[in-house]
Amino acid sequence: MSGAASAAAGSKFQAFMNHPAGPKTVFFWAPMMKWCLVAAGLKDLSRPAEKLSVSQNVALAATGFIWVRYSLVITPVNYSLAAVNFFVGSTGLGQLARIWHYQRTKQDPILDLINSRKAEKAAAAAKA
Amino acid sequence: MASRFYNWLRSPAARQYFFSTHFWGPVANWGLPLAAIADLRKDEEVISGAMTTALAAYSLVFMRFAWRVIPRNYLLFACHATNATAQLVQEGRFVNYWYMGGKEKKEAAKKGPVTEAIEAAREEAKKVAAAK
Repeated sequence: MSGAASAAAGSKFQAFMNHPAGPKTVFFWAPMMKWCLVAAGLKDLSRPAEKLSVSQNVALAATGFIWVRYSLVITPVNYSLAAVNFFVGSTGLGQLARIWHYQRTKQDPILDLINSRKAEKAAAAAKA
Repeated sequence: MASRFYNWLRSPAARQYFFSTHFWGPVANWGLPLAAIADLRKDEEVISGAMTTALAAYSLVFMRFAWRVIPRNYLLFACHATNATAQLVQEGRFVNYWYMGGKEKKEAAKKGPVTEAIEAAREEAKKVAAAK
């Protein structure tokens, strides 16, 4: 790489690192942090449907989808925040659908799917 | 002081604020602490340890975000401060129930079905005696 190109690459990285909304500030890490809510929501797929909190999932679904819209109308537009809030809203809505289905039919196909996958893995590990 | 507030309320700046995302975004977020406060009186079995920890950490980070964003957003700060507190209390209830003997204490305090039936019969007898 020529001296000029490597200098340009170096300063682009510097520019990113020193950006007012860059990785040294809370404006970068706060949306990143929100992905933990999505991860926790996905982990909760393995909880039985009767142990889920309706009010918490309603709140997550509502705040998630409302913030998708607001992330796109604020200045500057924050696609990272919009994306993470879309997933937060979706996991909340998914859990609500599970609870509703369970209340009606007393069946939880998602939990059964996860448990059967776990059983398969355990059987494969035991054989190996 | 009250009249200054009401004067501000009627100004165009206030109208602009109440129609902006700076107001409605935090309003949308208040669902989370309100749900947590409603869940405080429910059984500990509905608490998700992972989600409660994630929400507490998320609110602590966003308290700083709300403080440092321009313009500073006190409503969002208040929302996340309330949520962080509520989630940490829920986390405390969760840890106490599953790891510090809370579940065992609760089950010991529960009366068996026979005792409950006897007490229910006694209550009915009292009511009948009082009605006479």
